[in-house]
Amino acid sequence: MHKANWIREYLALAVILVALVLLFGALSGRFLTPATFGAIANRIPTLALAATGMTLVLIVGGIDLSIGSVLALAGAVLGVALVDWHWPFAACASLAVGVGLVAGLANGALIVGLTVPPFIVTLGMMEMARGAAYLVTHSQTKYLGTAVEGLARPLGGTGLSGSFLLALLVVVLAQWLLSSSVLGRWMFATGSNETATRYSGIDPRPVKLAAYALTGAAAGLGAVCYAARLGASDPNAGAGLELSAIAAAVIGGTSLLGGRGSVINTFFGVLIIATLEAGLAQVGASEPVKRLVTGAVIVLAVLADAWRQRAAGNSFLLWQRLLGRTTGRPVKT
Amino acid sequence: MKNSPFVSGGRRPCWLVLGLVPLLLLSACKRDESGGAPARPRVALIMKSLANEFFLTMADGARKHQATHAADYELIVNGIKNETDLAEQVGLVEQMVAQQVNIIVIAPADSKALVPVLKRAQAAGVRVVNIDNKLDADALKEAGLIVPFVGPDNRAGARRVGEALAKQLPAGAKVAIIEGLTTAFNGQQRRAGFEDAMKAAGMNIVSVQSGQWEIDKANNVAAAMLSEHPDLQALLCGNDSMALGAVAAVQAAGRTGKVLVCGYDGIGAIRPMVADGRVTATADQHADQLAVFGIEAALKILKGEAPPADQTTVVDLVTK
Repeated sequence: MHKANWIREYLALAVILVALVLLFGALSGRFLTPATFGAIANRIPTLALAATGMTLVLIVGGIDLSIGSVLALAGAVLGVALVDWHWPFAACASLAVGVGLVAGLANGALIVGLTVPPFIVTLGMMEMARGAAYLVTHSQTKYLGTAVEGLARPLGGTGLSGSFLLALLVVVLAQWLLSSSVLGRWMFATGSNETATRYSGIDPRPVKLAAYALTGAAAGLGAVCYAARLGASDPNAGAGLELSAIAAAVIGGTSLLGGRGSVINTFFGVLIIATLEAGLAQVGASEPVKRLVTGAVIVLAVLADAWRQRAAGNSFLLWQRLLGRTTGRPVKT
Repeated sequence: MKNSPFVSGGRRPCWLVLGLVPLLLLSACKRDESGGAPARPRVALIMKSLANEFFLTMADGARKHQATHAADYELIVNGIKNETDLAEQVGLVEQMVAQQVNIIVIAPADSKALVPVLKRAQAAGVRVVNIDNKLDADALKEAGLIVPFVGPDNRAGARRVGEALAKQLPAGAKVAIIEGLTTAFNGQQRRAGFEDAMKAAGMNIVSVQSGQWEIDKANNVAAAMLSEHPDLQALLCGNDSMALGAVAAVQAAGRTGKVLVCGYDGIGAIRPMVADGRVTATADQHADQLAVFGIEAALKILKGEAPPADQTTVVDLVTK
């Protein structure tokens, strides 16, 4: 992406986001208030962290279905460490991130070491981590008390919580990693064409391992934010989170077949999903309507992003997107 | 070759998958029943998700009861993975019929969809007792099936929780309801019970939305309700997990004490909140005893000591 194009790059998603905000503002007299935006900011961190990780694995041409279960396991361990072992919160939080990192490393090691498809490995990890979360908590929601709530409390006057700023920091760091670091370039290369990457002298295996490990750690951090927001550790946490994270990434233009994506755009996807959920709940939409509208907006957002590219004079890319192809030229196999 | 997460090179995956097959089969096998005299009736307890604290407590209560009455009956406990996975529960019923148990005590995941398979079970000579979530009366009638129900009256229980809450609110106060899965009968009953109590006390219900039984979904819904209605005075939640989410939303909005919260179920995590007033009331259905009541009724029916009649179990109000 050329730096001069960044406004155009983010424009389509920003327009959808603003349109949603204005729409709900028109439908509900109280949507355009600091309380609403505070509540949206408060709920974003977990999904933002998960979606950031998901963007990385999608870029290297993988997928991580275990992200929600790993989050539940990390949260479960956090709860046990805090309540049963009486560890200080900082130590519990580090442990949760560590649990996520280990699960991510295990995913990555199986995928690159044994060349098992990521879909299968992470599907297995999804089940195992969920089972482990139930074992650790004895299937009971643990009440954590006030020790964890500091992170979710709005910081002096801004209305923004520590969790939110933390998630924002991770998004910025991840975008820097992708666009300005060597590892980031290798990630795009691996996802675009792994064979070519290998022939050009770069080993794609550690690159993929790093993507899965970072995603696991992001899920662990997401668990810390989840626990802080709800004051509880819940073994059912994050059920379906992997699909929300994929939706956010795809809304942001990340390709499901690798080689293309941006964390900032994914964050727009997260904002769109969160705004939509908050707005629909605030206008009191019924359950079926919520699902219909959410599904429709996901598809529309992806189409809008594709249209933006056609408007930018690249109709070729549009068809690639719609057909799921991502590399610069059609690949003959 | 195009790199895709769904396709892998190499041959080793085949071996791995083959190696996994026996493992999966093994884990699919059910815990074998403690051997013993064949004269003991065999009772199959079929639950909803054992990952849910409520059903786990129920199953543990049943196991404890069996341990102290080991001479009276044999117990096989099974649960499904996901509360909405009807097919898995239907499969479990078929499996238990194939194992020729004497009686099935079931907490149905759906009040209508389980009726046909239970009819087949009864036709095969297996007695059926329904616990927790009541089977649909019309569906039973249509199938020509008589199944005794042993369990709580969710509507009456929710009404009592609602009445306890209403006592602390001025007449005409704005309240909102966060209900469970809209397709679940017990969820519908609790919502109806809350509505009964609120209408009787002259409260103003400004919003009813689903939190899908889950803590974070309820948290999001509660946060939106709080921003939409700055003068909201109470959130009535269909279970305690959702009440936990609502309490967190009230705290985040800085309105603790101004917005009352009530729940249902009486899980462990809610107790400290009832004690410090963040949760006004919840209901204790005595989960540990629910399955036991069902089993006791089943044993009596088997011995011919009792007619297969409905039996309502106690629900206690929990307040500070």
